[in-house]
Amino acid sequence: MIVTILELRARFLQYLQKFQIIIEPLVKFIIAFAVFRSINNAIGYEKHLMSLPAELLLSLLGTFTPPVILVLLAALVALAHVYIASPILAILVALIMVILYCFIARFSGKYGYVILAIPILFLLKIPYVVPLILGLVATPMAIIPTACGVVVYRMFVVISSAAKFEGSTQIEDILAMYIDVIDRLVADKQMIATIAVFSVMIIVMYLVRKLSIEYVFEISVAIGAIVCILGFLVTDLVIHTELNITSMVFGTVGSMLIALVFQFFRLALDYTAVERVQFEDDDYYYYVKAVPKMNLTMPERSVKKFSTIRETEFSQDDEEETPDDMLSDDENNIQGAD
Amino acid sequence: MLNNRKVRLMTRLAMYEQKEGKEDIRISKYFRTDYVRLQVLKSIVALTLGYMLILLILVIYHSEYLIRNAVVLDYKGMIMRYAGIYVIILVVYCALVMIGYMIKYRASRKKLAKYFRMLRRLRSIYREEDGEAVTGEEEAVYYDRNNT
Repeated sequence: MIVTILELRARFLQYLQKFQIIIEPLVKFIIAFAVFRSINNAIGYEKHLMSLPAELLLSLLGTFTPPVILVLLAALVALAHVYIASPILAILVALIMVILYCFIARFSGKYGYVILAIPILFLLKIPYVVPLILGLVATPMAIIPTACGVVVYRMFVVISSAAKFEGSTQIEDILAMYIDVIDRLVADKQMIATIAVFSVMIIVMYLVRKLSIEYVFEISVAIGAIVCILGFLVTDLVIHTELNITSMVFGTVGSMLIALVFQFFRLALDYTAVERVQFEDDDYYYYVKAVPKMNLTMPERSVKKFSTIRETEFSQDDEEETPDDMLSDDENNIQGAD
Repeated sequence: MLNNRKVRLMTRLAMYEQKEGKEDIRISKYFRTDYVRLQVLKSIVALTLGYMLILLILVIYHSEYLIRNAVVLDYKGMIMRYAGIYVIILVVYCALVMIGYMIKYRASRKKLAKYFRMLRRLRSIYREEDGEAVTGEEEAVYYDRNNT
């Protein structure tokens, strides 16, 4: 049984490797499309942006540009929608986004897209998958983009409920609405509760992951899910957030399954990406396609211990020639060199 | 004639340079103090901008009260208070940023050390090929800095 699953995975990865050049942009396109679709569904006020050609065009743009551009595009689209509903709120949203960026979001580094993923997954009712996966792969620093993502989502929830009541252009009304929005943002208990629970999840999973026990990743996911459910229940009891408990529990279980599937493929995926590089020396130009070798049956993970003393010795040991440190020789099979 | 060992090595170097190496090599052009100082400076600018925007939001929020009491307000006390908060945040924030970037600099240095090891190996291959040393200027610069 387990052998068949492992073989299936290996076969799947082989296909992935073979068609990587098509699959990668396709996946990016689907993600981008889902992002713009859900933004349009949630706060669609600007009709032009909601048309299918606009969505497709934006998604296409997001496919062939770095992830940062997708985040930026999504922010702009969201701002445009809010601007149609209420210019003053759009300014407020823009201000809050800039403040978030200035204070913390600039440190989110390679996890920047988490800021985008959390609101989108909130709309799909499975935001819990983000801390569950970050707990597996990231350090506690990932709390920063996670918190930003939650703030952004809650901000849009508050804004879109406020935008419905706007119609008057009287300065008093606008000011009253502005004050109301800020009051609600500051007093948003659910936002604080969500950030707290997600942060605890990431930290606990990180700590569990560092233990040297068998099935540590699976255990870590399970513990993360338990922390998630308990955390939301406790915060609901203590500060009465308006939380739909059934949807939370089912969402967490679903997220847990996604995280487990992710974990099953993760290590394999890390080492299957085909690399294309170009370089030259005095005599040749090289266009190299480096295809990592794969074993049909993945080796079982075994726990190894490295003491800190040896590690420092190793890093100081600069002069000595060691065999390839980045990737071992047999991991890479260089196919073509001309 | 193609030298397989060399191609393998160069491929690996190119792969590193294309991905995480980009950032590491950029960082390696600074001394540690310079790098950390630059990052702290950037953070101060960002923090000041963010703080000012928060103040702006607050001013609009309290605009009714501010306008009504514009004559009797204790401006000096207010400015002192918000400047004080600003300084406290700034100090804490800068300390955190400094520690964070110091750690980052060290980590990047460690990764770079491996890269240089490979570069050196490439050089020895060149030496074998040509029978004489190749003057890898860039490498020499990196190498020197790496060991300071």
